[in-house]
Amino acid sequence: MWTPARSLWRGRVGEVVSHGLGLAQPGWRANLEVVGTVIVARLKIVARYKGVLLMEAFLPIVFAALPILLGVSIAGGPENAATNFLNATGTENYALYMLIGASTFMVVSLMLWLVGYWLRREQESGTLEALYLVPTRRIYILAGVTTYAMIRSLMAFLIAIILGSLIFGVNPFSGNVLMAIAFLGIGLLPMWGISFLFGAFIMKVKEANSVISLMQWVVAFLMGVYFPVTVFPPLLRFFALSFPPTVMTDGMRGSILALETLYGGWYVNFAILIAMAFIIPYLGYETFLRMERRIKRNEGVGQF
Amino acid sequence: MNPPAAATVTAHRGFGLADLSFRQRLGTFYDMSKKQIIEFSRYPIAFVAIFVQIFLIIVMFMFATLAFSGASGTAGQGQLAGVMVYGFLVSMFLSFTLWEVGFSVREEQIRGTLESLYLSPANKFNNLMSRIFAILLFAGVMCVAAVVFVGAMVGGMPLENVAFALLVLALSISGFLGIGVIFAGVTLKLKETAQFLVSFLQFFFMIFSAVFFPFSALPAVLRENISRYLPVSYNVDLFRSLLINRPPELMSVASEFYIVVAFGIVSPIVGYFVYRWIERQARAAGTLGEY
Repeated sequence: MWTPARSLWRGRVGEVVSHGLGLAQPGWRANLEVVGTVIVARLKIVARYKGVLLMEAFLPIVFAALPILLGVSIAGGPENAATNFLNATGTENYALYMLIGASTFMVVSLMLWLVGYWLRREQESGTLEALYLVPTRRIYILAGVTTYAMIRSLMAFLIAIILGSLIFGVNPFSGNVLMAIAFLGIGLLPMWGISFLFGAFIMKVKEANSVISLMQWVVAFLMGVYFPVTVFPPLLRFFALSFPPTVMTDGMRGSILALETLYGGWYVNFAILIAMAFIIPYLGYETFLRMERRIKRNEGVGQF
Repeated sequence: MNPPAAATVTAHRGFGLADLSFRQRLGTFYDMSKKQIIEFSRYPIAFVAIFVQIFLIIVMFMFATLAFSGASGTAGQGQLAGVMVYGFLVSMFLSFTLWEVGFSVREEQIRGTLESLYLSPANKFNNLMSRIFAILLFAGVMCVAAVVFVGAMVGGMPLENVAFALLVLALSISGFLGIGVIFAGVTLKLKETAQFLVSFLQFFFMIFSAVFFPFSALPAVLRENISRYLPVSYNVDLFRSLLINRPPELMSVASEFYIVVAFGIVSPIVGYFVYRWIERQARAAGTLGEY
């Protein structure tokens, strides 16, 4: 027999079932537990591969060393290199300039790599569909994975900066370190969104390895790892300046090396980065959900 | 010899009753290469990605040099571009070999198809070798495109002694195959860490084999104690010097050529035995498909 209460109950069941949660109604504590569990699980897995962590810390140093050696060779010695670099960028500390660029690039690259590769790995090992059947919302699993990526990339960043400074004989604490940390912290939030976008893209195109390899260099190019993006032609410069990692790297370099930022002042960079920190994660997650819905309707998320 | 004993011998090698003649080995190589090409063709973005990636790396380093050179544009930097691009081409073949031969074993492990491949009555080593064939074809095309592209950017690059340089490149690729095969064996043992080991090797050679810069840019202590002991350094140095038409930096042309020839011959042989050794260990321990 129909009653208004029964109809309401049916509606609610339909609603929760449509979210894929069955009859479960997880509260905030359960959701937080999901995020925590994913982070701990990922950290436990990577802890088995200590060589990987060591490599991540060393790669930025290698990335920085390549242009330094090339530049010194072109300029005909470290003194000439410093003078030419001062004229081109505003600082003669080219080693620290490159080290900041390369270490920040490692953070950005790892955020993309770890999220994209996690998705692809779940697809390949056939566990992605199983994850879709667990009674929790995807946002919490994704939040766990992206937070884990953030923790790992920050660890790599710190070790790279400290080790790199010792190897290149530079002082990373010479400028406004707190401001640089603030730029890094705020800059990671839009990166969260970009990694969602990237995850959606990987789900669609499948080819994680090649896409990640390409994106790494596109990112490195756009964010000006080795040079100020002012050398770009106007259209490319516009894209580069709208790209959060460029603003973040520029802000960090400006703080530590006392350089004028691309937007003319640290506070402008900071304001733009804060705006990006609000907009991009939202856009990223929405795009991820849309892409996911489309894929679920077509070939299914597990196909690779 | 009684038939059951003969059957045991062949079965012991994992080939069942298959006939492992040269023709059959060639057939395995052909079929596996075809499989690789078909697999590649299913992922067209991978091609585009590799293509764009090469240009981006070159352009990025070209921009980086501008800040140091004091020049306002890339035009007229042909000699420098030659050092960078030709060195990079050699390293590209090295990294393709490492990733394709070495890392494809890892992919088969993850997908759970490595053990199945080992159960097939086909030569396992040919299977491994076939993985590089397709990618080398495409890498060759990309190299030509890279030279044309950068040449156009800097207003022409030096291109001398092409035939001799191609011979050096062929011998270098043969030597890299040896490293790739050793790496495939190491992947069976190291599993996930292998991925980062490839990256490490790539960057190790980039620095110590002076891929993007002349050897003179390296501190003497590194050049004399590390670079000189790496065969890859001589591959890079000789190939680059021939194309730019200037004397090599580490040794004379003749001495470097002997090293390149020796590396091209010895490395695949050593690689073969090392791979077989590690593979036997993994099979005995039952860890072949483990990841």
